[in-house]
Amino acid sequence: MAREPQHRPARTVGYGFRAARVACFLVTLVAWLSPALLGGAPAFAQAPPSTGGSFDNVDDQQGEDPYEVNQPRRVWLRGVLDARVVRGGEAPSWTDSGRGRTRYGSDVDGEGFERETKLVLAQLAIELGATLPWEVRAQAQVNVQPDLDDYRPWLVEAFVRKEWGVATSGRGLQAGLMGNPFSLEHVGPAWSPQYSISASALNSWLWEEISVAGLEGEWWREAGGLRFGMLAGAGFGPDQLGRLVAVRGWTMGDVLSGVGAEMPLPSGVRTQIFDERDDRPAAYALLTLGDARERAALRFGYFDNFGDENVAGVWNTRFGVVGASFHLHPRFELLVQYLDGEARVRDTTNDSSLRAWYALLSHHQGRHRVSVRYDSFRLQDVDGGSVTAEDGEGVTFAWFWQIGLRHQLGFEYVWLDVDRRSQPTLAPSQDGGQLSYRFRY
Amino acid sequence: MVRSLQARLAATLRRVRLMLPLGMLAMAVLPVAGALAAETGVSGRVVGPDGKPVAAAIVFVQAAPSDADAERVRGDRSARIDGQSGRVAMDQVDKAFVPAVLPVVVGTEVRFPNHDQIHHHVYSFSRTKTFELPLYKGQDAQPVLFDKAGVVKIGCNIHDWMSAVILVLPNEHFAVTDSDGRFTLENLPAGKHTLAAWHERSRTKVDETLQAVSVGSAATAATGAGIHFTLSLAPARTRPAIRGSRNDT
Repeated sequence: MAREPQHRPARTVGYGFRAARVACFLVTLVAWLSPALLGGAPAFAQAPPSTGGSFDNVDDQQGEDPYEVNQPRRVWLRGVLDARVVRGGEAPSWTDSGRGRTRYGSDVDGEGFERETKLVLAQLAIELGATLPWEVRAQAQVNVQPDLDDYRPWLVEAFVRKEWGVATSGRGLQAGLMGNPFSLEHVGPAWSPQYSISASALNSWLWEEISVAGLEGEWWREAGGLRFGMLAGAGFGPDQLGRLVAVRGWTMGDVLSGVGAEMPLPSGVRTQIFDERDDRPAAYALLTLGDARERAALRFGYFDNFGDENVAGVWNTRFGVVGASFHLHPRFELLVQYLDGEARVRDTTNDSSLRAWYALLSHHQGRHRVSVRYDSFRLQDVDGGSVTAEDGEGVTFAWFWQIGLRHQLGFEYVWLDVDRRSQPTLAPSQDGGQLSYRFRY
Repeated sequence: MVRSLQARLAATLRRVRLMLPLGMLAMAVLPVAGALAAETGVSGRVVGPDGKPVAAAIVFVQAAPSDADAERVRGDRSARIDGQSGRVAMDQVDKAFVPAVLPVVVGTEVRFPNHDQIHHHVYSFSRTKTFELPLYKGQDAQPVLFDKAGVVKIGCNIHDWMSAVILVLPNEHFAVTDSDGRFTLENLPAGKHTLAAWHERSRTKVDETLQAVSVGSAATAATGAGIHFTLSLAPARTRPAIRGSRNDT
């Protein structure tokens, strides 16, 4: 049965109150994590990888016997805490139903377009994993992103995975709730962007709007110095895919959606991300071709939610995405991705074609990483109006400093220029910066 | 009758006179032969509780090195620092540590060359040795000195599935069992030694495996030749394939 979109008023809580809540939360969390902060091995060192895996613990929990080797634990817990000082663009952010295209903007209660500097809790991610019988691995991740939904947790992923074979030849089967497999940037802890604080417009959208509950199969093989990979999946949930980007426009950030996720639209309405309405599964596929020595790789992906436009509120969205990554020099990485697609819905005039691409160059020296990225994105209104039409481009500079194994400092500045036809000519500056502290448990 | 007794006694004395120098010669030679035989091997086998052979187990002499051993170790360490040959290394190849288990003598410096095109961040939080090294291909990072005996578990901060073990042993006298579980400890100096057995997946503590053996005496040569260890192993866990497109970076 079709459901009406939920209507919720835009939030009006002052940022001073939010900052106090963030500070209290951080103090509580630091007290809870203080044994880990003061010493001992990080929990991520004890855990199987994000893909699910069983391997020896790398921790210091030896007994008196110096030759003792701890056997792998069957259950593991990891976490990522990300706190920031942000100074966003002149307009309230889209996260406050404003016109700002970055995650943090100006005061929503302000008189005009005035920049604001504030302390925020950007993300708290908790990952839980377990090794089940027959070497089946289970994994789940919950994120709290207070600027979007107070402290309500979103289930980003929850799946079981079984693999057969080895690194050079094998196959895998995965079932459950998953995000998208296309992003080249979201390969950091808890699926965070690795090269910058905010991902490209292309990948920001993929992680904002795709959450699928279903089945995924995978195959890989190395032969003749090349590595081949195929991935195909189908599942339910993304019937609203396309609504956020068409109605709001492209953004740049690091929001991860999932079950329970509701994203604000400019009108104050919130859209559910995981929302199955037409009982038609979406399908997707990804082909990978790379050099076995990882000097270069190509990826071709396709996604179609097969949305039934005859069902009220269902968006029919499909896109193709091509990506290339280059590691021609051990300290440099070059990523390029291009996306082309369309999103259609029956009841409104928001049918749009989507196009975005970016190029990112990253340099890693010791414990420091510096990245520069150029973004270009476009929406074309294809049903006769110019409601959704927009063009934009951006340049992002990011620097990360890895301090030991647990702590990371990051800085980012985004220069962003967006021209949306339907909005007033007065265009507040979208430029803004963030200073991030990330703790990994 | 008395004459026959005298004859027998004389014959006996003649034999004694002949044998005495031989005996004295033997008494002089045997210790030397024993000393020569003392630089000898102790062999044996490591099996599981079900009698099946345990491969890749490490049998070692659990004793502080003698002055000669310590000097030899220091000399070898100098060779590792100053020369390319004889260096001990744990490599990173195709997002895996090679070898997965590396036995070294206390005082050894281990290099961690990265032969992958991508960056690794090698670390250990083991009490035996704590360190972390960001590593790049083509860059010679500072070797890490392992100066305490024990287990050092190695991981990569970026690629969670990568893990290895460096077993730091108190002296040079160790051997790795073959596929049949057999080992031979060679060139052990004469004297009493305490042997121990270790395996990466062993549930049996090293202290529970200790066996005393004397090397270099004929009386104990037989016992030295057939030492048996029984180790109870935890089930082997398959390492994740980690070549899925979703997670391949």
